[in-house]
Amino acid sequence: MQRELTIDAPAAAPAPPEQSAERTAASGWVLRGVSTAYLVAGFAQPVFAGVYLSGDFDGLAWHMRGADLVSYIAIAHLVTAGVVWARARRAWPFWASLALVTGVTAQYFAGMWGELWLHFPLGVALVAGIAGMFAAVWRRPLPRRRKEVRADG
Amino acid sequence: MGEWSLPVSRRRALAIGAGIGAVAAGGLALSAGWARRPAETGDQLRSAVPLPEPFTVPLPIPPVLAPVESTADGDRYELVQQEIDAEVIPGFATRLWTYDGVFPGPTIESRRGRHTTVLHRNELPVPTVLHLHGGRTPAASDGYPTDLVLPDGWTGHAGHSMADDRAAVSNVQREYGFPLDQRAAMLWYHDHRMDFTAPAIWRGLAGLHFVRDDVEDALDLPRGDHELPLMIADRAFDEDGQLAYPAVDPSLTGEHGVTEPYLAGVLGDVVLVNGAPWPEHEVDTGLYRLRVLNGSNARHYELEAVADDGRTVPLVQIGADQGLLAAPVRHERLPIAPAERYDLLIDFGGLPVGSTVRLRNRLGSGGTADIMRFRIAREGTAAAIPETLAEDLPEWDRSEAAVVRDLAFRAGRMDDGRHGWLIDGLPFDPARTDVTARLGDVEVWRLVADVHHPVHLHLVGFRVLSRGGGAPLAHDAGLKDTISLRPGESAEIITRFDGYRGRYLFHCHNAEHEDMGMMANLEIV
Repeated sequence: MQRELTIDAPAAAPAPPEQSAERTAASGWVLRGVSTAYLVAGFAQPVFAGVYLSGDFDGLAWHMRGADLVSYIAIAHLVTAGVVWARARRAWPFWASLALVTGVTAQYFAGMWGELWLHFPLGVALVAGIAGMFAAVWRRPLPRRRKEVRADG
Repeated sequence: MGEWSLPVSRRRALAIGAGIGAVAAGGLALSAGWARRPAETGDQLRSAVPLPEPFTVPLPIPPVLAPVESTADGDRYELVQQEIDAEVIPGFATRLWTYDGVFPGPTIESRRGRHTTVLHRNELPVPTVLHLHGGRTPAASDGYPTDLVLPDGWTGHAGHSMADDRAAVSNVQREYGFPLDQRAAMLWYHDHRMDFTAPAIWRGLAGLHFVRDDVEDALDLPRGDHELPLMIADRAFDEDGQLAYPAVDPSLTGEHGVTEPYLAGVLGDVVLVNGAPWPEHEVDTGLYRLRVLNGSNARHYELEAVADDGRTVPLVQIGADQGLLAAPVRHERLPIAPAERYDLLIDFGGLPVGSTVRLRNRLGSGGTADIMRFRIAREGTAAAIPETLAEDLPEWDRSEAAVVRDLAFRAGRMDDGRHGWLIDGLPFDPARTDVTARLGDVEVWRLVADVHHPVHLHLVGFRVLSRGGGAPLAHDAGLKDTISLRPGESAEIITRFDGYRGRYLFHCHNAEHEDMGMMANLEIV
């Protein structure tokens, strides 16, 4: 069980409040890294969209590159979450990541097809989801577990 | 440690997650239910009179205007802008503003390069300005919005909100000269008065003007009664059968603009084709050439021809705003924004005599989902669709561009603080030059829109280089003078500014947007 509800800043992450038994596994660290990239790329997308809609044509190219990047990160995140499931016996990151991948894919096509009724609220929901994921993976250790099967609370 | 350091139970964590998920899902559902799908810019007026059954009124064809004089130097026409009462909705007399007493105005037929002079006499109660949309016209005859033709006895003020030292105002009548040194195309003429273009077009000030040339003649396209001009325009009617329009000042002489709900554009619930509601036209089983103009103020359509058995009859595009394409483009559905034109071939061959083909609007609902109907009345002669069309399309390359400009079309505040529509953050001002282009220069313009904006350039035609960061769409082919940007969409266009020097315009052709600031000056030097 975790002592802190507050979110650790990424820079402070390697600090050792974690007991040796509770040390985050390598796969967990990768998940934290990918989640951080996810967060940065996710928050950049509305910035590019705003630049574009303010009339800067190049903003669209940035927004499209950003969409590609978020998609790649989403897939990398899902794969990493799958590894965490296998190695650290935690299923929730995988299922949450799967939900995000689904949303990111829908968001990509909603943008391509100009379906703004979906693109705007889904974009907001996705950024919220990515932020939630970031908080969840950094909030507690993700140690490797061999026998303990129960996903923690 | 206080409460904040207590561990979060698994149940609590799940509850929080479920709560966030429910709010997100609720937001998406709300958006799906509330937002307009497909997107639509504008609000619809509801007619207060009983509307006719669709397809009960025959399709009128606007009369072709005879020149008052034809010489070796060109043709001269005279038109009177006048009020009439016409039966648009059966059983009602509707007051219209017209060119020469008909709506749409009489069609003018010109040959490429043959000078056409049109004398317009204004017998309407307000000033007018005549613009030939798509015309390659010297600035003095291009119908700059402050170049008013004042009605007889008009006193004092200019009747618009803008001071303009360069305005060339005339009394009662004005002669417009059109060299028409341009490709064969269907142009259209309409009122372009400062602040009041939208209500003037709504009341009926619009007509067609064809330019013909040898390139077109060589193709042996359907002609005569197998070439149909179709001006599609939506309107709404009040309880007296008069045209309803939410003008702030119904006299159209003082405060411009429309009332709050209609700021994004005025949509009607009646679709007129050549001035008749949902008309029907008898055709044979031959090949027809449809010259389609969206003459609506704000309504976009997506055209689809549907036979009785539900099958889609292809619309084969052979031309765009500014004339023939290089090769035909076959469409199942074809979007058309205000002021855009398409030159289409439709083949009724193979359809049984007695059956019908409905021209539908896939963007509409209820009455606005229908446009008109063709009734196949007899056998006709089959004709082939040419595989290649025109070879005289201008080609410009990005590398030739002297200037690349970004222009944003979006909502904002006008100088008086009212809601308006802005280009690059500014409402229209005749005294400010927004874009200065050198005669002969090739330029690339990158246009970005917040909602639907059909962007129109005076004087020149342009090619579409890209749309939405990707390739142009099928209907972007050819030479255009109006490009339809959808919400959040952008496009790159390329053109050469040639022809004439002087003060021209570019603007959004949503006529309400145009009246509420969304125009800018294009000075060719």
